[in-house]
Amino acid sequence: MLVSEIEIITPISVNDCLLLLSKNETEHRIIAGGTDAVVRMKEGKWRPSAWINIKGLKDLRYIKEKNGAIHIGPLTTHTDIIHSPLLQKRADVLVEACREVGAVQMQNMGTIGGNIGTASPAGDTIPALYVLEASIELQSINSSRIIPINQLFTGPGRTVIKPNEMITNIIIKPQTENEIGIFQKLGPRKAQSISIVNVAIMLSMASNRECLGGKIAFGSVAPTIIRAKKCEALLSLNPLTDDIIENIAKVAWKEVMPITDGRATAEYRRDMASALLERGLFRLMRRWENK
Amino acid sequence: MKQLLNWIGKRVKRLDGPEKVTGALKYMTDFHFENMVWGKVLRATYPYAKIHSIQTDKAKQLPGVICILTHEDIPGFNGFGIVVPDQPVLASDIVRCTGDAIALVAAETLEIAEQALSLIEVDYEPLEAVTDAEQAMSAEAPKLHPDGNIHSHVKIKNGNIDKAFREADIIVENTFYSPRQMHAFIETEGGWGVMDEEGFITIRCPGQYAYRDRMQIARALAYNPERIRVISSPIGGAFGGKDEITVQIYLALLAMHTNGRPVKIHLSREESVIAGIKRHPFKVRMRTAAKKDGTLLANEVRAVADTGAYASLGGAVIALAIEHSCGPYKIPNVNLEGFCVYTNNGISGAFRGFGVNQVCIGIETHLDMIAEQLGLDPIEIRKKNVYHQGEVSSMGHVVKSSVGTFKTLEAAENCDLWKNRNQYKKEVSEPWKKRGVALATSFHGIGMGIGLPDYGAASIELLPDGKFLVAVGCEEIGGGNGTAYAQVAAEILNCDISKIKVIQGDTSKTLDGGTVTASRSTYTGGRAVATAAPNMIKLLSNTAAVILKVPLSEIKILRDCLAAKEEILSYEAIYEYLYIHHQPTKVEGHFLLPKEKTEIKGSGGAPHHLYGYLTHVVMVEVDTLTGETEVLRVVSIPDAGRVINPQGLEGQAEGGAVMGIGYTLYEDVIIEEGFHKTKNFTDYIIPTIRETPLIETFPVEDEEQTGPFGAKGIGEVVMIPIIPAIMSAIYDATGARIYHLPATPERIFNALKEMKKQNIQPSR
Repeated sequence: MLVSEIEIITPISVNDCLLLLSKNETEHRIIAGGTDAVVRMKEGKWRPSAWINIKGLKDLRYIKEKNGAIHIGPLTTHTDIIHSPLLQKRADVLVEACREVGAVQMQNMGTIGGNIGTASPAGDTIPALYVLEASIELQSINSSRIIPINQLFTGPGRTVIKPNEMITNIIIKPQTENEIGIFQKLGPRKAQSISIVNVAIMLSMASNRECLGGKIAFGSVAPTIIRAKKCEALLSLNPLTDDIIENIAKVAWKEVMPITDGRATAEYRRDMASALLERGLFRLMRRWENK
Repeated sequence: MKQLLNWIGKRVKRLDGPEKVTGALKYMTDFHFENMVWGKVLRATYPYAKIHSIQTDKAKQLPGVICILTHEDIPGFNGFGIVVPDQPVLASDIVRCTGDAIALVAAETLEIAEQALSLIEVDYEPLEAVTDAEQAMSAEAPKLHPDGNIHSHVKIKNGNIDKAFREADIIVENTFYSPRQMHAFIETEGGWGVMDEEGFITIRCPGQYAYRDRMQIARALAYNPERIRVISSPIGGAFGGKDEITVQIYLALLAMHTNGRPVKIHLSREESVIAGIKRHPFKVRMRTAAKKDGTLLANEVRAVADTGAYASLGGAVIALAIEHSCGPYKIPNVNLEGFCVYTNNGISGAFRGFGVNQVCIGIETHLDMIAEQLGLDPIEIRKKNVYHQGEVSSMGHVVKSSVGTFKTLEAAENCDLWKNRNQYKKEVSEPWKKRGVALATSFHGIGMGIGLPDYGAASIELLPDGKFLVAVGCEEIGGGNGTAYAQVAAEILNCDISKIKVIQGDTSKTLDGGTVTASRSTYTGGRAVATAAPNMIKLLSNTAAVILKVPLSEIKILRDCLAAKEEILSYEAIYEYLYIHHQPTKVEGHFLLPKEKTEIKGSGGAPHHLYGYLTHVVMVEVDTLTGETEVLRVVSIPDAGRVINPQGLEGQAEGGAVMGIGYTLYEDVIIEEGFHKTKNFTDYIIPTIRETPLIETFPVEDEEQTGPFGAKGIGEVVMIPIIPAIMSAIYDATGARIYHLPATPERIFNALKEMKKQNIQPSR
């Protein structure tokens, strides 16, 4: 299929779009911000017979509070998230992650739904969504289901989303007053890079350095994003002194199973899982103490 | 003694600044024409293979295809290369790298052209690729070229090396590996070709020497060069990467088959990565000996450069590397040897620094090691060993031109960052981070070495509106030489700079004045303008004397006009007189660059007559948890002779520093088994503004008597000493030495891990 032969269909509503998807044209593909789709089209990997262009569906671009949860529309851009006062206050870890996505131009065009749908093990927003216990709403023309984020991905670039479904809502649990989050990324340079390892951390704090519990999610160290459950279990055993942080971070090494690629070796990635967790917890404790 | 000057040494804004900053300037690859056609190049599938046949019938039948050309369609010589034309324009029987071109397509659309490429059938017999330079030198390796895989071998010997090593108090020996850097210019290789009804060919293609490009095109086309016009300026960045032919010959060949329609080729970034020239990766083994007091006694160097499939300027690169391998020092006993070797790893050629980058990391690291072991200050040991003007260098020749190294070291010693380094080093931003401060010094030859004729030329034309058109062959490559030319012209003509227009890089409008390479264009172009300008003054005054009917001696050259007695004469009036009387309004200036008389035996062109010098001081911060290094501050202390434009010098110093940071910390084009693993800017990491530190530039001006107003050159050395300076600063911070660039977080982390394993405590 030549690029010039690909049709572009622009649905006027979510329903219109779901109807299109229900026709079971497997050669169709959804395009939103295009920051991944266009690259893959150029590389010749994605050459559908038609693009379903949903970028203009305003109904899917929102950030709102509802019944104690925060709902984010899949067409919300990374820039929207960065500038949202609500998310800055109640989901700082997601805001930080969005700041680390590619270049500013990518943040302006790229959408959170697209980042989830692409299902890259190195995706920057996904670890943050893991620690915010996100649920993903999937709709088809005649049904709707909600999948917890840790059940959404089946492997690198693969999800449980069916061809007739699309992401219509991303529901996260807002942070409370005593919850603090941080996103740490190691790339080959500071700006505009793909993660070698990334980690999202959210802690629920009592007084001083006493931690009631927390969540840790790593990217780029396994076929999908993974939670570091052993490290999480250790968070509340002792106050998070520098020594304890070092000990907890060392455990991360055992919870990851990375591969070697052009960006880094597996061994370095393993070491970096520990290093980033250590650095993240150090920095979180500093922030907490200065709060 | 400094004259009082109007324009030289002043912060004159770039003449081409506004149009570049606003984006108004159209680069040649930005243009589109209504009746244009698209050209594409078929590249090799294998890094090393025999070609049994090339079938183009299917491709030719594709609707929208205008022509498909192969080696059979080349009217002249099927080869190009600045020194040795060993690279086929279109491969016929063998391919030696994946950048090799096999066929050309012209089509109505880019998409059809791409489709046509996929329909060309090439029957290959893949051969085992030669992927390591040392392996390529062995007797068993397949010969990639008829004369074998060693393209060039340079050797310089002085003194008694064995005796010196026997008598030395201290000897250090190490091996250094350097990366395959990409020029990463914003504008990838590309341009336009068109042939008119009379068969006159115009090629618009960014390059670094339009006249030489024209000769290379003419040779391949068997065509009268006078009937080819090459426009080579402006350029969206080159840095040496557009010194060699890029797509000019392809454009000319296609233009002969498109019925007068203009044909455009513009490489995608991915194609540029594969087919474009890169910096030579080097392996440098170095052994250095010194006395207890820090006096350098001997240096032994063996450098092997991977030039890839074709020579391009590889021979000159290794020669320059060896000439500079001992730094700007006087080492009495040397044994230096360099090899430039063919492999199937892409193509390496000219790149800012031209081999000096790869060798300076050796000598500068060794000086620091020797200083540390002897308890000497790094500046002290350098001051002790540098050569001064009139002294004998490590090459064994007397350096007659200006030498500013000592002054740059003094300035380094007195700069805030060096004086207060111990305080700055304490101010780490987070407890697990460590800071280090270090310095290094280097130099770089200006102009061509011995054996290559080197000349400059410029013309100045009086225009109807009373302005002067200064025409210089040297292209505007991004460095701002055009503004320097305008300053020189305005200074000598005694006019406002707004009266000067500059044109560069066009064989129909500018004289042949040599390349924009070898840090030579400020010196050469500037001196050419300074040679032409007095001729213009002569023309103006002679004409004024005739118009005003006074003896020549009464004509005064005033600001923006001429005068005699009470009468003032404008440039416009002089033009009008010349025009009416059918007299020429244009003057020229030509000169030969000064050269050394005797070539150092076996050196391949050393020594140079002129060198620019520079010392860098840097501060880095290393994250010991991850190995990430950040360069926080850079002090650049150049000796460029008299500075024509401080703003231009700062631009070069800052750009060069960032390019040096990229080389040291991030950049490498990875090729495995002859195939590129690095594809584009997703995996080729260059510094962004977030990796750009505070850079201060403090020039010391050691004036060069032969230069225009005392200027030398600066284009390359600005990126050189920063490389070993960063390496030493990482050591100063962490105790880890990195011998293999780029010093990626992973390499630094592994070095730190190794130290922990061996329980080595950082020495400082």
